[in-house]
Amino acid sequence: MPSPTARPGDPAVGLRTSSHSHAGAPTVLKIVIAGGFGAGKTTAVGAVSEITPLSTEEYLTEASADVDSLEGVEAKQTTTVAFDFGRLSLPDAPKPLELFLFGTPGQDRFVDLWYDLSRGAVGAVVLVDTRRLENSFTPVSFFEDIGLPFVVAVNHFDGAHLYHPDQVRAALDLPASVPVVTDVPTGWAAGARATSWDARNPNHVAGVLLTLVGYAVEHASEGPVHPASTTTLQDA
Amino acid sequence: MSTYGDAAEDSTFVRTYTLTRGRTEPRHLLGLDTVLDLGPGRPGPGQAEECEEILALCREHRRSVTELAGRLGRPITAAKILVSDLLDAHALVVSVTDAYAAADTDADERPTTHLLAALSVALKRKFPDAIPYRQAG
Ligand SMILES: Nc1nc2c(ncn2[C@@H]2O[C@H](COP(=O)(O)OP(=O)(O)OP(=O)(O)O)[C@@H](O)[C@H]2O)c(=O)[nH]1
Ligand SMILES: [Mg+2]
Repeated sequence: MPSPTARPGDPAVGLRTSSHSHAGAPTVLKIVIAGGFGAGKTTAVGAVSEITPLSTEEYLTEASADVDSLEGVEAKQTTTVAFDFGRLSLPDAPKPLELFLFGTPGQDRFVDLWYDLSRGAVGAVVLVDTRRLENSFTPVSFFEDIGLPFVVAVNHFDGAHLYHPDQVRAALDLPASVPVVTDVPTGWAAGARATSWDARNPNHVAGVLLTLVGYAVEHASEGPVHPASTTTLQDA
Repeated sequence: MSTYGDAAEDSTFVRTYTLTRGRTEPRHLLGLDTVLDLGPGRPGPGQAEECEEILALCREHRRSVTELAGRLGRPITAAKILVSDLLDAHALVVSVTDAYAAADTDADERPTTHLLAALSVALKRKFPDAIPYRQAG
């Protein structure tokens, strides 16, 4: 991928003293890591984050299904959702960046949170545990509906059957363009064998993030929104 | 949910309510990824202890709303309410470094391809052994 002109003089820090000297401050980008219960979300965030993943709670107020409640007042129900936060600084990028990672559970009652997290995001990684494939349906259709680029990473848990990416794609009814990662080459050497993708391995997680970023670029070039910037990228 | 779970949740509610002096809505519109920097002001007297904690955290490093809540061990809403107080006192300022300021148009909130390219380069530098997956199809 072509890179924008590097600006080596950019400071990565320098935010402390003045509230107005933000010129060199890193730009924040975010990626959502979604998946069902126990799919490896916290593990994946922690594998690449510079800080131990923080578990954060938020209350979500759901309008109750009981619309005909007394006084016409919509009964509200509050649930708690816990999600992960991790970050990594990328100071020597062509421009200083900071990447936020949000790990979020897959149940559909949390879609309000997903909207918040998805706004302005680079994209999403949907973690799939093939023993509980159905837990991935909701996040997959959510990201499809809002048009957020996403990739699927299959965690191979001990004892689980190894699936081919096409089998996972078919089971999740994914368009052919959506990358599905099930395994990674062990190295560049000829004949190197592939190993199962593993959320505990920082290089594997970073590889999926790179896959997502590449896919997001393609997605942007396919979409109707940015014909101009597409040209710029291809010409660069 | 179990009775125990409900009770635990209720008591968290009570603690949060006390912390925010009964307020349930933050005064400022803050996102989960809004980043806060230390400002020139000082908070007035009678602030919650947690406000000092927030300022100490932001003195070290600018922090997102989510990170502050996580480090305080408080719900997001509680953190947003306290951050709002600190913004009013100019003890905190919102960091103006989000990607969306750099977006081409207001309507499109997606990061630009330019930023995505920079992210790709940066990740490759940080994880030289990471191998992006190549789509077979
Ligand atoms: N074999 C294998 N185990 C994994 C992998 N990723 C995570 N695990 C293990 O699976 C368990 C669950 O992982 P978590 O990261 O806690 O999953 P989670 O999605 O955050 O789970 P919840 O937050 O409870 O929904 C942990 O014991 C991990 O060590 C993987 O890629 N392969
Ligand atoms: Mg978790």
